[in-house]
Amino acid sequence: MLVSDIKSRPVYERLGVDASGRRHLVVSDAPRPLAEVIDGADSAAAPLGYWVVAATSAVDAQPQAEPATGNAVPLERRAFRAVPHLLDRLSHRLAQETVGFRLYAVGEEGFVWNVAKLAREAGLEAAECRTAHAGSLRRRVFCVHCKTITEDVTTSLAACDGCGAHLVVRDHFSRHLAAFMGVQADAEAPGELPPVEELFP
Amino acid sequence: MTALTVPLRVAATVPLSPTLRAFTLIPADGGLAPPSGPGAHLRLHLRSGGKLLRNAYSLTSNPEDRSHLSIIVRRVAASRGGSAFLHEEVAEGDVIEAGLPANLFPLVRTARKHLMVSGGIGLTPFLAYIAAFEAAGTPWELHHFCRPDERAVFEALLARLPASRVHIHCDMALGALEDALLRQPLGTHFYTCGPAALMEAGLALAQALGWPKVRLHSESFGGAAEGGAPFVAVLRRSGIEVAVGAETSLLAAMEAAGVDAPCLCRGGACGQCLIEVAEGEPEHRDHFLDEAERASNRLIMTCVSRSRTPRLVLEL
Amino acid sequence: MTIQFKPDETFRDEFSYSNSDAAVLRFPFPFPEDAYMYSVNIEPHVRGGPSPAFDNPFDVDEHYVAECRERAKVLEQDPSRCKVLPHMMAAEWDTLELIMESFATSYPEHFTLTRDGTSWTWENRPLGIRDSFTFGDASTLPLPPFEYITRQAQGDFTLQDQREDNLFVDGGMVTTQADWSLDFDVGMTFHQWHGPVPLAHQKGVFDRALKFLLRLQYGAPVRRLNWTMTVNPRLDTSPENYPQWGPDRLTLTPENIGRKLHLRVELQSLFRLPRSNAILFGIRCYLCSIEDLARVGVWGKRLHRVLRDLHPEIADYKGTTRYRDMAVAYLAPFDDGAELPAGTAPRQSTLAPRS
Repeated sequence: MLVSDIKSRPVYERLGVDASGRRHLVVSDAPRPLAEVIDGADSAAAPLGYWVVAATSAVDAQPQAEPATGNAVPLERRAFRAVPHLLDRLSHRLAQETVGFRLYAVGEEGFVWNVAKLAREAGLEAAECRTAHAGSLRRRVFCVHCKTITEDVTTSLAACDGCGAHLVVRDHFSRHLAAFMGVQADAEAPGELPPVEELFP
Repeated sequence: MTALTVPLRVAATVPLSPTLRAFTLIPADGGLAPPSGPGAHLRLHLRSGGKLLRNAYSLTSNPEDRSHLSIIVRRVAASRGGSAFLHEEVAEGDVIEAGLPANLFPLVRTARKHLMVSGGIGLTPFLAYIAAFEAAGTPWELHHFCRPDERAVFEALLARLPASRVHIHCDMALGALEDALLRQPLGTHFYTCGPAALMEAGLALAQALGWPKVRLHSESFGGAAEGGAPFVAVLRRSGIEVAVGAETSLLAAMEAAGVDAPCLCRGGACGQCLIEVAEGEPEHRDHFLDEAERASNRLIMTCVSRSRTPRLVLEL
Repeated sequence: MTIQFKPDETFRDEFSYSNSDAAVLRFPFPFPEDAYMYSVNIEPHVRGGPSPAFDNPFDVDEHYVAECRERAKVLEQDPSRCKVLPHMMAAEWDTLELIMESFATSYPEHFTLTRDGTSWTWENRPLGIRDSFTFGDASTLPLPPFEYITRQAQGDFTLQDQREDNLFVDGGMVTTQADWSLDFDVGMTFHQWHGPVPLAHQKGVFDRALKFLLRLQYGAPVRRLNWTMTVNPRLDTSPENYPQWGPDRLTLTPENIGRKLHLRVELQSLFRLPRSNAILFGIRCYLCSIEDLARVGVWGKRLHRVLRDLHPEIADYKGTTRYRDMAVAYLAPFDDGAELPAGTAPRQSTLAPRS
């Protein structure tokens, strides 16, 4: 049961601007057209920011105000050099924020749950931080035996970066660790491994 | 199921104002008072004029101190008898049975800051909250609304607390509250207790300012059980018929008939008094059942809900 | 009544753990009927019922000292088996108070709690512990309050914070678990935490259990039994140490299965905690070899029927797939097919000697 209906696995829905918010910020791990990642941005009644990871040192995270069109409020765009660059700036923003703020994260699973963790640590409730998946399905896998997180796992079976165990990726997901659980596949009969399948391209 | 009770002795009773009276209660048989948490209430079993009343009062004592329990009781004009009985007939040394403390208004332990809005006697649960916040060093802010003639009473109750955290308002203008709601850091939770109009106004204002429901908490026991058309409850299993009068609740009528009916909050919140309905159509007034359960007409919360039909047959 | 402890028995290496005849007869056998399926089998946790294991809020038996030593060994290897999120400090004190009060009341010959206001003295004679501390001041205890007291109790414990009409597993002491990881699951909601359990979600078991637990009252604890099977009397069958215990499953033979295969029963108890409004979940593990269980007539027959007819998905989740047929074959000779009365009482007061 590698892909199952286990209730801890996140189910993602398309993002929409939460009309009850007083300030909105959308973060994405890659440059994507805003209308592609969230509904309602062009008619939002409250200020909205859109921060993306451009993956180049040529950008400088300067806010680029976009003139309002029609009834919409101004949109503030920023481009960051890398994911840590965005997360660092985000943690400063969260420390200054007040209740009424809404955060939206879109991207690969590791990215969106790192954002969600930062948000939770800043005091945001789950209802105020929405997540959606985009891009590769590859998983972060937490080795339950040695506590190492192995990144970018695309297969049903993966060698742990820490202890080398062949981990079967369980469909059990921890939002705190932003990772799936990995358990040694051949613990009962060493060397007896199931075939490797490409499951999370 | 009969809940456990403990006998409590009235160690002190002190009038705070013409309508407010504080009671200090200690275990009648010595020993430690039962432990409780901020927001917990105590249900007193009051025997007055042949009637048994079970009234709930928020505990105002510091939850860390098990030497005693404290409550403050407002004498209500349209009292069913409980508050008048406590004000006029209960004296120091009397013993009162009480249920174990229960908590339907717990504070949110993950919150970074707590913003409290109270009206009048609705301050009481927050006295226990504030004791816990002060002990733990958690930031808090209180906005208390009261009548001008009671300002001095509440100022005295809050006198030893940091003035920067306490805001007393003697009008219903919510401008100060709006300012407060606009500047709360992420992680703040909002609690309100007091007259329904104040609680509703505070909650509506917070939602309008972008506060999600998960951050909003209100004390809901009491007040919900109001009268309606009289009806007859038929307890199918015990073969008893109970007449429910216009001014009494289904639960109280069953209790008066000697039926040991389950209950806890008596305010339609906790779900404990849930009974199956065999025949008839309930008039739901609770906060517990979901839409499908209400529509099924198969369940009723006896503490607050009534009947749309003259007869309601219950599986009890 | 003074309990005769067996301080030197072990739950690893040579596995010297065993049950006395009295311990077999007080085993909380979990199958009242010949067939098993998930249900919300919750009842008030009050004295009485078919097993003396239900007589006290927290059961202490002959394995107490040895189990506390086993827990200390696990924590020495992996301190993360005890983890409590910072907002649960009130629940930590609630737990300490509840267990100390219960132990001192249930077993006064072994435990004494002396209180003068917030100045408390705790004596645990079986473990040779005597500490004076200030209730509410964690700096006066040698360990955080939850870890301090759960190192002195049998069974695992988790702490559930109640908020958003949900329960969050925000702490625990988990060293004797049946294949779940606190380190991984900490912070999860009720449904996320139970995510891997098959069938029960579709049956609405967790929805109803959650609704019930959200209403749990202080002073009215409840309990239920759960079960699985374990090869060797090993308490630590954690996912963390699966590479160590997983190979055990291949060591079973028709000759040794009676002694090596154990029915593992969890007496799960749930207490509303008064200060924190959290819920303490006790998961007390009892192990009994199927050879010893078959010495109780009605238990041997019923266990045979339950294992034989178990739903395949449940059999798989409980890790019995490799050896279920062998266990059924071992138990078959004990089952004459006679109709059994409902219930779990042993219906005998002595045991035949082991064959």
